[in-house]
Amino acid sequence: MDWGKVKFFLGEVLRNFTRNAGMQATAIGTVAITIILLGTFLFVRATLAGLGNDILNQIEISVYFTNDASPHQEAIVRSTLLHDPRIASVVFVSKAQGLAELRKQTNGIIDTSLLTENPLPDKLRVKVVDPDSVPSVADGLKKMDGVATVVYPQTVVARLLALGGVLRKIGIGVIVTFFLVAGIIISNTIRLTVFARRREISIMQLVGATNLYIRAPFICEGMLDGVAGSLIAIVVLTVARVWLWPKLMLALPWISLNSTTVNGPVLLLELLAVGAAIGAVASWFSVGRHLRA
Amino acid sequence: MISLRGVSLIYPNGVRALDGVSLEIAKGDFVFLVGHSGTGKSSMLRLLYREQVPSSGEITVDGIRVDRLARGRIPALRRHLGVVFQDYKLLSDKTVWENVAFAMQVTGAHTRDVMRQVPRALDLVGLAHKSRMFPSELSGGEQQRTAIARALVNNPKILLCDEPTGNLDPTNTTEIMELLLRINLKGTTVVVATHNQAVVDRMRRRVVRLENGKVATDEERGYYYLGLGQGQILSG
Repeated sequence: MDWGKVKFFLGEVLRNFTRNAGMQATAIGTVAITIILLGTFLFVRATLAGLGNDILNQIEISVYFTNDASPHQEAIVRSTLLHDPRIASVVFVSKAQGLAELRKQTNGIIDTSLLTENPLPDKLRVKVVDPDSVPSVADGLKKMDGVATVVYPQTVVARLLALGGVLRKIGIGVIVTFFLVAGIIISNTIRLTVFARRREISIMQLVGATNLYIRAPFICEGMLDGVAGSLIAIVVLTVARVWLWPKLMLALPWISLNSTTVNGPVLLLELLAVGAAIGAVASWFSVGRHLRA
Repeated sequence: MISLRGVSLIYPNGVRALDGVSLEIAKGDFVFLVGHSGTGKSSMLRLLYREQVPSSGEITVDGIRVDRLARGRIPALRRHLGVVFQDYKLLSDKTVWENVAFAMQVTGAHTRDVMRQVPRALDLVGLAHKSRMFPSELSGGEQQRTAIARALVNNPKILLCDEPTGNLDPTNTTEIMELLLRINLKGTTVVVATHNQAVVDRMRRRVVRLENGKVATDEERGYYYLGLGQGQILSG
């Protein structure tokens, strides 16, 4: 290992980085804001998705059999469901159990002893693995022999699924926009550094430095911008997560926000990598433009 | 060492900088390129280090077909060449030593070689004692000598100089020319574009005179103006 080379290279990167302190600060600041927005957005999206999933996971499909359904028909429906990979659980509730549940739920307000016969049909309580499959599972059940009606909170499912889809689309749009903004800003910062160092670059080209070698310090500079911005963003996000989030939870007790759906350390590492990547790509292009000219 | 065959260079604005120039420069030659401003001296040098591509013709430098050289091969060509300019092109925030070392460091030279070659180059140009100074602390002649040290530090076979004394007083001019001569005597092929008549006439070296993008005269041991000594100035 030639430490003299390493020292020279790092010296060049540091020289670049400290030369336009104001411009670097602007770039780092903008990256930080971008990454904070990105991180917040990812966090909120994951939390909302978790919230939505919690609600959706509690959704039950109730399958009511016709009064004249034979035990055989009921068994076929049940075993079909048990063999369906989309289904999480199936619970059979007989007429008698149904009545007992009703008594319990109504807590004696309705006097069921007056009933001469049990009017309740047999039913199945079905839970699915993926909430997206609720409507299709329900449709399939409706067509089976012996099934009278299939009931599930249709509008809730439909609305939550629609909301999830919209959120995903907005999310992708916002993220792409953030990436572009951060990229353009870093690219412009590097272009200013490149411009400030055009004399140095022309000398490098004159003495036969390869384009890759000329690029390398600028790429590192861009990555430093990205990483520094991300680090600031990570500090801000961590403080917000540790200090602000519990207060928010206390302020909004009726929302059971399940924040465990966000893997903090992984998300932060991803943000760091994203920052570095934006910096590298942006500076690659801004130097490349100069080298070709 | 350097060969041009029917080389023309036409700029996008239609200006014909060079018009069918053919020229052979042997290894170890010392050649002056003379002519008025705008006669194609600098253009010819730029073609040699592939800053520009000829519109037509063949250029060979040290066995490399420069006119056909792929972009990715340019660095390799330039490592065989030293180039010196009128405005020195030194980096103001680097010391003399760092400026010279820069040419090696950015081409990936090993630190061991940098430590060996830089003092040698600075010795050659007589600046070893000023290696820690910055360009702004040096005279014009010293700055040009720093630039020459930088051009020589990679041991090029050819040294191209574009008006190297254009910004210097007569004393410094003489010193730089003597330095170039010393470099030439060590075997380096030297090409100097200049319109300094006094220098050319005193040195009595090969003189290639360009006029309107063409080689007007080519004399061994020539004068700035064909067949005339110093002090006889023609009009135009």
